[in-house]
Amino acid sequence: MPKWKIYTPDGVQDILFDECYIKKNIEAELRELFRRCGYFEIETPILEFFDTFTVDEESTPQESMFKFFDQQGRILVLRPDLTIPVARVAASKLKDAQYPLRISYIGNTFRYNESGGGRQKEFTQAGIELLGEVTPESDAEVISIAVNAVKTCGLNDFQIDIGHVGFFKGLMEEAGLCEQDMAQMRILIERKDFIGIEEIISKRDISSHIKKLIFNMPRLSGGIDVIDRVRKILKGPKTLEALDYLEELLKILEDYGLNDYVSIDLGMVQSLNYYTGIIFRGFTHGVGFPILSGGRYDNLIEKFGLRLPATGFSLGVNLVMNALERQQKCMDKPHVDSLIYYEKEGRKVAFEICRQLRAQGLVIQMDITMAGKERVKAYARSMGIGGIIGVLDEDLIEIHNLETNEIKRVSRSELLK
Amino acid sequence: MNYINIALPKGRLGDKAVELFEAIGIDCEEIKNSSRKLIFTDEKNMIRLFLVKPTDVPTYVEYGAADIGIAGRDTLLEEGRNLYEILNLRYGNCKMVLAGPAELKDKFDKLANKRVATKYPRIAREYFEHRRKESVEIIKLNGSVELAPLVGLSELIVDLVESGRTLKENNLVIYDVIEDISARLVVNRASMKMKSERIQWIIDELRKNIDMQIGSQY
Repeated sequence: MPKWKIYTPDGVQDILFDECYIKKNIEAELRELFRRCGYFEIETPILEFFDTFTVDEESTPQESMFKFFDQQGRILVLRPDLTIPVARVAASKLKDAQYPLRISYIGNTFRYNESGGGRQKEFTQAGIELLGEVTPESDAEVISIAVNAVKTCGLNDFQIDIGHVGFFKGLMEEAGLCEQDMAQMRILIERKDFIGIEEIISKRDISSHIKKLIFNMPRLSGGIDVIDRVRKILKGPKTLEALDYLEELLKILEDYGLNDYVSIDLGMVQSLNYYTGIIFRGFTHGVGFPILSGGRYDNLIEKFGLRLPATGFSLGVNLVMNALERQQKCMDKPHVDSLIYYEKEGRKVAFEICRQLRAQGLVIQMDITMAGKERVKAYARSMGIGGIIGVLDEDLIEIHNLETNEIKRVSRSELLK
Repeated sequence: MNYINIALPKGRLGDKAVELFEAIGIDCEEIKNSSRKLIFTDEKNMIRLFLVKPTDVPTYVEYGAADIGIAGRDTLLEEGRNLYEILNLRYGNCKMVLAGPAELKDKFDKLANKRVATKYPRIAREYFEHRRKESVEIIKLNGSVELAPLVGLSELIVDLVESGRTLKENNLVIYDVIEDISARLVVNRASMKMKSERIQWIIDELRKNIDMQIGSQY
């Protein structure tokens, strides 16, 4: 009857020793980085009301969420995202906070429709949100922390692309495209579907220089020169404002010393209802998806009742781990430094030695099989433990080097030196 | 330097793709001479080619297992993967259509419940839900879709049509053209950033080559 009892559901998985060790180390280092940057962590529930996530149907459509009911019949979801819960908290429990407010989180999120390649239905996101400021300096701070977060994880070869939703919106206005065309154009540009783009603009009455620019939008990426090139063609206030902002942002990032990691991509147009200003995504080798994404979302918190500008990013921890593996980065693995076995006469001393060695930072396992020296040795060898310690009585301690098969007798004080 | 991995569809679409890559100077000798191998390498250009089932190309490219792929527009629409559709290779031309019995052509809109047989359930569903704004019953088949209306399995079909001869022979007519279909070059989103220079070179060369070929037909 219980035929599924030894399986896990599709899209979730067990994370075992080596992988778990690496993952927790990454999380610990990210947490440390966020703290040093003055971002303090909050935890929000894994369960939320469905209503909370209806504020952004574009990036969390209802079919992407795990749903069920509470005892009163209200719809609950497993959180598909962590920015929205942060926005909810900011507008409610933190509404009297001092701004700018800096928040960080590390937690698991859940989504259907996630395809594989390292993307599971349950995945860990680590990120920050900076609330209450509209300056380019705040966006630059968030991007600089994003760069450092990726580096902290051990990835050096990566790129962060920055765009601005105001550029696309402004350009569509200048072209005079209707809402529906605009929605379709967004998808086409996002997919870099030149064929589809051409189809739409060729049918519309748009001045030729704007036509050319729209057609080339998916290709408008690179350094600061891209901005200069485009600025010569455009006249609209919205597009120019977006370009000025991006230029200022790039200059700040240059002073952060991050030139090598960031570039402009004006063809980036995801989640236009959610983001209101700059948007960015991070890519690296070995993973086909963006490992991080972020941007400015000045209208989101207002949907929870507080007008508050905000900017932030989140990093996919599982994707980063995939990248580390594919790029064959050497990562720390769990290991045991030594194993202690004892005769009854030495038990108390054995526990004391164990306590002191652990306090010195060593990883020590105690023998609990009481099956004798040979069994302990065999176990230790199979675990890759280099040496074991035998406490025969209060004064007689043997150190077995399992690599050279040498046995050394020492006193307690010699051992703990 | 990393390899550029290219996923090619087995069959007609892939054969033509090999010709295209050869024309821009990528060594495809190996792929033409061997039938058992799975991966073919051009060490000089640091390019690796592999042949996969046509409908799997978008999957390889989305996950980044392949940086570049060649797939029919029909496959791309049906798989609905998140990737860059960069270039129309302008071969493998046909149309995705809604079709049905000739006598139903003016009346099918009035059917209360429509049944649609197709090899492309996603394309059919999107077409009805988004463009016609109605719900339909989709019946997924794996071949000989034209048979369905003849034996009462469905009223309508959504299928690829090249010359239209099969439709005609079975007294079926096209009601609506859903999409023009041809072979496309697709690129993984991360690869487009991380290996941009070399991928852009391949794109530009292919584009030049196609423009030349199509131009020479006139």
